Amino acid sequence: MAAEVIANELFPDSTITLALFRNVENVKEIRQCVMNGTFEAAILKTSMIVDPFQVIVAANKAVVHQNKVGKMMTKNVHSEILFNLSPSKNISDSFRKFGAGDTDQSVFIAVIDDKTGQTLQAIQNTVKGQQVDVDEVKQLSDLNNIKKIYKLTDAELSWSPLDALVTRIAAKDIMTI
Amino acid sequence: MERVLIKQGAEGKLYSSEFYGKPCIVKERFTKSYRHPALDKSLTTQRMKAEARALLRCRMSGIECPALYMVDIESRCIIMERVLNSVTVREYTRTLQEKDDAKNLLSLAKQIGEVLGRLHSNNIIHGDLTTSNMLIKGYGENSRIILIDFGLSYFDSVAEDKGVDLYVLERAFLSTHPNTEALFQVILDTYKDNNKTGAEDVMKKLEEIRMRGRKRTMVG
Repeated sequence: MAAEVIANELFPDSTITLALFRNVENVKEIRQCVMNGTFEAAILKTSMIVDPFQVIVAANKAVVHQNKVGKMMTKNVHSEILFNLSPSKNISDSFRKFGAGDTDQSVFIAVIDDKTGQTLQAIQNTVKGQQVDVDEVKQLSDLNNIKKIYKLTDAELSWSPLDALVTRIAAKDIMTI
Repeated sequence: MERVLIKQGAEGKLYSSEFYGKPCIVKERFTKSYRHPALDKSLTTQRMKAEARALLRCRMSGIECPALYMVDIESRCIIMERVLNSVTVREYTRTLQEKDDAKNLLSLAKQIGEVLGRLHSNNIIHGDLTTSNMLIKGYGENSRIILIDFGLSYFDSVAEDKGVDLYVLERAFLSTHPNTEALFQVILDTYKDNNKTGAEDVMKKLEEIRMRGRKRTMVG
């Protein structure tokens, strides 16, 4: 199953690559690779994602902020995705809640500007697991936890949790809950 | 991003477009050359933030409104969900009136009253309530009201402002849809049921505002 490469709507030269892996055995190793710079990517916790669109909104915002000096809150565009996803303004707290944990069995990966596909290749070589369609993330989300962390109300949950989440992500720097 | 202009107002332009495969509306506020650039930037920023805030507040209070996709202060754009398969309450009311569908008109009025009651009990003032700024999805029993255009909205608990909000709607409602006085009364009655704590004060204010108009007289 191929990863999804999406052109950025606002900066057409920029791309967002999404990939989902299940039955992963070595999340710890993947995270180590990101931390020591073997490849650059955002390694996300699948249970916190309801739809790939949620990640796209956060990644889009990260790219827009990257292109405007002084807008980024974290060190690079990939950590910015994690930070944007989180409703919290605490960076390390955001990483803990939205980054994949060592014992997770699945990871959602987002890479910005991987035009040659090199990074994705490197990730595919590292991950011991099975790559699946990104839409399968819907089966892996933990709504109860999402509800708790984003402080969703029951009404919001009953219409569309995705809309509630993207609204919060988009409005994060304007208003915190 | 391909954009199709759908509406132009005094403050900005409304485009229809797609945001990563989802139908969206792009609301772009333009620069006003007659204003000082610093003031212009500050006003635009304020209004965009107010709109984003209102959309989030409404959603959290259980009032349906479009999902927000992106706020870009630099390019003066707000990108939000385009609500598919919906018509404005204005058109919907017309259709129902032509059909003489009293039953559905009544349930529509109740729905409007309910949404407004909830809006005001959460201290959100819409600022521009008209039947064109409410969308309706579905038909009859299964329809839902979605509020749009929060560009003039703010948060306040004062009865006066809520009264003005209702007064603006009353004027808009009665002038666009003739012979609907009874219907508007239904809206107010349901409003009272849904805004129990504040409705009484608001109704008093509404009476007052009806006598003098939207603006307070500036004497003394």
